[in-house]
Amino acid sequence: MIQLKNLERYYKSGFQKSWVLKGINLDVKQGEFITIMGDSGAGKSTLLQIIGMLDAANKGEYNFFDEEVHRFNEKKRTELYKHYIGFVFQAYHLIDDLTVYENIETPLIYRGIKSKERKPLVAELLDRFNIVAKKDLFPDQLSGGQQQLVGLARAIIGKPKLLLADEPTGNLHTKQGEEIMKLFKELHAEGMTIIQVTHSEKNAEYGDRIIYLEDGYVREDKNVNELLEKN
Amino acid sequence: MWKHNIKLTFRNFKRNKTSFLINLIGLSTGLACALLIYLWVNDEMNIDKFHAQDDQLFQVVQNYERTEGIRSRAITPAYFSKEMKDALPEVIYATPTNNEYNFTEPGIISLGEKDVKARPLFAGKDYFNVFSFPLLQGDKDQVLVDKNAVVISEELATKVFNSTENVVGKMIRWEHDVFDGEFLISGIFKKLPESSTEQFDVVLNYEHALDPFEESRNWWSDAARTFFILKKGTDLQQFNKKLTTILRSKPYRENCSMFAQQFSTRYLHGQYENGEISGGRISYVNLFSLIAIFLLIIACVNFMNLSTARASTRMKEVGVKKTTGASRWNLIAQFLTESILMVGLSFVFSLVLISMFLPQFNEITNKQLDLNISSQTLFSILSIVILTGLLAGSYPAFYLSGFKPVNVLKGKLNNLFGEKWIRKGLVVFQFSMSVIFIVSFLIINQQINFIQKKQLGYDKSNIVCFTSKGQASNKLESFLNQIKRIPAVESATNIEGGGFMGNKNNGTAPTWEGVPVTQQMMVPRPHVGYDYLKTLGVELIEGRSFSKEFSNEEDNVIINESAAKLIGYENPVGRFLYRGSDYKIQIIGVVKDFHNESLHKKIKPTFIRFQPTGKDIMVKIKPGQEVATIQKLKKTYEEFHAGFPFEFTFLDDEYQNMYESETKVAALANYAAGVAIMVSCLGLFGLAMFTTERRRKEIGIRKVLGSSVFGIVRMLTSDFTKTVFIAILISIPISFFIAKSWMANFAYGIKLSWWLFLVPSLVVLLVAWITVGMQTVKAASVNPVHSLKDE
Ligand SMILES: Nc1ncnc2c1ncn2[C@@H]1O[C@H](COP(=O)(O)OP(=O)(O)O)[C@@H](O)[C@H]1O
Ligand SMILES: [Mg+2]
Repeated sequence: MIQLKNLERYYKSGFQKSWVLKGINLDVKQGEFITIMGDSGAGKSTLLQIIGMLDAANKGEYNFFDEEVHRFNEKKRTELYKHYIGFVFQAYHLIDDLTVYENIETPLIYRGIKSKERKPLVAELLDRFNIVAKKDLFPDQLSGGQQQLVGLARAIIGKPKLLLADEPTGNLHTKQGEEIMKLFKELHAEGMTIIQVTHSEKNAEYGDRIIYLEDGYVREDKNVNELLEKN
Repeated sequence: MWKHNIKLTFRNFKRNKTSFLINLIGLSTGLACALLIYLWVNDEMNIDKFHAQDDQLFQVVQNYERTEGIRSRAITPAYFSKEMKDALPEVIYATPTNNEYNFTEPGIISLGEKDVKARPLFAGKDYFNVFSFPLLQGDKDQVLVDKNAVVISEELATKVFNSTENVVGKMIRWEHDVFDGEFLISGIFKKLPESSTEQFDVVLNYEHALDPFEESRNWWSDAARTFFILKKGTDLQQFNKKLTTILRSKPYRENCSMFAQQFSTRYLHGQYENGEISGGRISYVNLFSLIAIFLLIIACVNFMNLSTARASTRMKEVGVKKTTGASRWNLIAQFLTESILMVGLSFVFSLVLISMFLPQFNEITNKQLDLNISSQTLFSILSIVILTGLLAGSYPAFYLSGFKPVNVLKGKLNNLFGEKWIRKGLVVFQFSMSVIFIVSFLIINQQINFIQKKQLGYDKSNIVCFTSKGQASNKLESFLNQIKRIPAVESATNIEGGGFMGNKNNGTAPTWEGVPVTQQMMVPRPHVGYDYLKTLGVELIEGRSFSKEFSNEEDNVIINESAAKLIGYENPVGRFLYRGSDYKIQIIGVVKDFHNESLHKKIKPTFIRFQPTGKDIMVKIKPGQEVATIQKLKKTYEEFHAGFPFEFTFLDDEYQNMYESETKVAALANYAAGVAIMVSCLGLFGLAMFTTERRRKEIGIRKVLGSSVFGIVRMLTSDFTKTVFIAILISIPISFFIAKSWMANFAYGIKLSWWLFLVPSLVVLLVAWITVGMQTVKAASVNPVHSLKDE
């Protein structure tokens, strides 16, 4: 599904280049649940953004479903966001002026799905995430965990093939985090490809592969089962 | 999608009430101004356009080539229309009407006891074929064939007969100072539209306009206006040549030429220079339109600035939407929906403003505009509204929708630099326009003040003007004597030719020794009765005024200093001027130059001639006794003029009327300046509010670090001050240029001194300071604890 070859990302300051990512090689198969870990500033977010095509690499290859990503224009990317990729953010990034219901519904509107057909889809997710009672509240009336549930619902309502989550539980306390991770697990079980960034070993265990970044390099790329066996 | 966008828009308005209000007030004021002006422009553009054959309806304009240049007037010899119709097959119908100098006064239509005032038109038999004023009754080919036939208006018929039925075939009586008689009604025409420049109540056979004036049928006289219907596709240039050929084949017309002008264009393009159409009211239409557009842009700028200033709060929304699959066009549509809705709401509000200010606006513009507009106008207005929405929304829409989600989600604003400059540029534009409007306002008002205070060389105060009408002219002398007997009347005189002090009575100057007779020059040649100089208070330098002690005063002339200088006689009094080879005119007096024309024109050599039969009377009244004296004048007038109401004006007002267009522009400039500065300051207020809000934390920290309130206010205002300063620097040369070209219309006027530019600049600067200052002082006085604790 995703192939990264010798990927580089650097910032120029003056004449100096400072690398954020260097020599990244990565293969992601459909259905995998990958966790990216590493210290702060290691380049995790940058990598995730490149995979999500929000950012572009300076050098190297990136193929998405065997297509070269650097050839994509904005229109093509918009198409991908509509049908292939969903995002979950650490800061939730809900739209303040929209209710819970409306926030979840937004991606469907951009897909041109009629209001009548949107209703059952949103209702189903509200039900599944146990937030039916909150559907008419605005984001600032929700707790962080609830907001992230809405964020996740919004990310998956379009049934994306790939879910990208940058520290989705970073602002949540353990119990709320667990709830989110369980949902990730379920989605994974349903066949969704997931790439998440997290600092928590525990969260990483929900996935099946862990990539450790260090100063822009891939230090380790391990199967979770192997890891668990080792411990 | 639309529902979603509209929903978001309203939530956004609710969340940001202040900027919503600023936009609402600014946009609705701008729109109200623009739409009022649009209504006016629309009305102007439609004047005379309603004729069925508008594109074929022409009027003949004649050029008179004289030594001092070509003069163009839309009058022709009486029978020119007949001549051209007979000679030129491309003329389908042609008609003469009386020229605009005769029969300017209404007459009286009477039937039995009823007397109704009626404005006459004298027209040829095809008049109703040329002009498509519909006839309620009568055959348009026939109604004016008979010499004693008369066509009357619907309103007149209703007034006289209480009906328009069974009116044709009846006789009515017509009374007018020039002629009267009994006429047979041959038709009734429908009420003339207000958008017609031709306004009359009765149409009489054209021959009646000629009968009273012996010479009007001659080829050297211009007793007609000539209108005609031209065949489609005629080459106008060739046609004009043919007109000129016909004209020049007549006696006295070798120095004249002619051209045809589409009738409906004369209203806006009624001025001529060098024998060609050079403009006219169209310049006001253009000026007003330009002002409307600028006011609208100023209002739109507020919307743009506030939207982009709030960008940081909108960025997250843009970023998130993009990652959920919104295309750039989706977002542009969303922001444009927002601006169009904003403008739409403002439009509704502006309708309220318009209905409030329409009466006042009508007064300034002399119109009867209302909001009962046609669907076509409504369509144009809605187009203006939507265009305004697009204009206001375009920049924020493209700017905000262009954010890269990755930057937004990282919380970085990397193209803020350019944005700040654009915002500053827009503020500079707003305030430049404000300064320009205020400078214009000031200069126009100063000039009008100058016009009012100017020493004119005569005293225009307390002079009442009126015209002796009807058959009273043979009793004119006793009438004047009677007036002079009224105790508070200081002096009275009569002049011929009407207009402002008889100055319409221009003509060729006499010649003098050493000058060839062929050299002709147009000069003011007022024809006046006794006591002209005394009544007006014109100062006599040498010689004497016209007096009853002398006979043959008709052969004498009083000249002004300019004329004396031009003639160059050493002791002019007692010497002679010549008209032709055998008519000598003696100079009996020289007066100081006085402004017998408007201040637009330089004082010309003036030759005052004697004519005791002039019907335009001027009476000088002692100050403080106007009301009582006018009552007495009225009584005396009515004794001598049975049936004619006493209608008078003050010379003061007539003088003022010469500056009607300036007064109008001044009124508009007042409003435009007020609106421009108000709307600009609203925008600045909004911007200042956002800036201080964004820097709330910084202000708190600075205060904790020991900065004074004043220091913080200065920090926050210095940016705005610089911007407004740049605006001033840009606007001064522009407004100087505008002022200079406007002042070129006047031969006499104010000097463009520096304070006329400095004062508006200071006003704008001060108002801007107050606007920003209110915000910043508030922000700077906040206890830092409040702004720092909520993080
Ligand atoms: N626009 C930028 N310019 C310069 N350096 C940047 C920019 N964006 C990110 N970086 C740097 O890239 C590095 C990696 O950032 P990031 O991917 O957010 O790390 P992580 O998510 O692993 O904490 C950081 O050191 C950061 O300073
Ligand atoms: Mg990160």
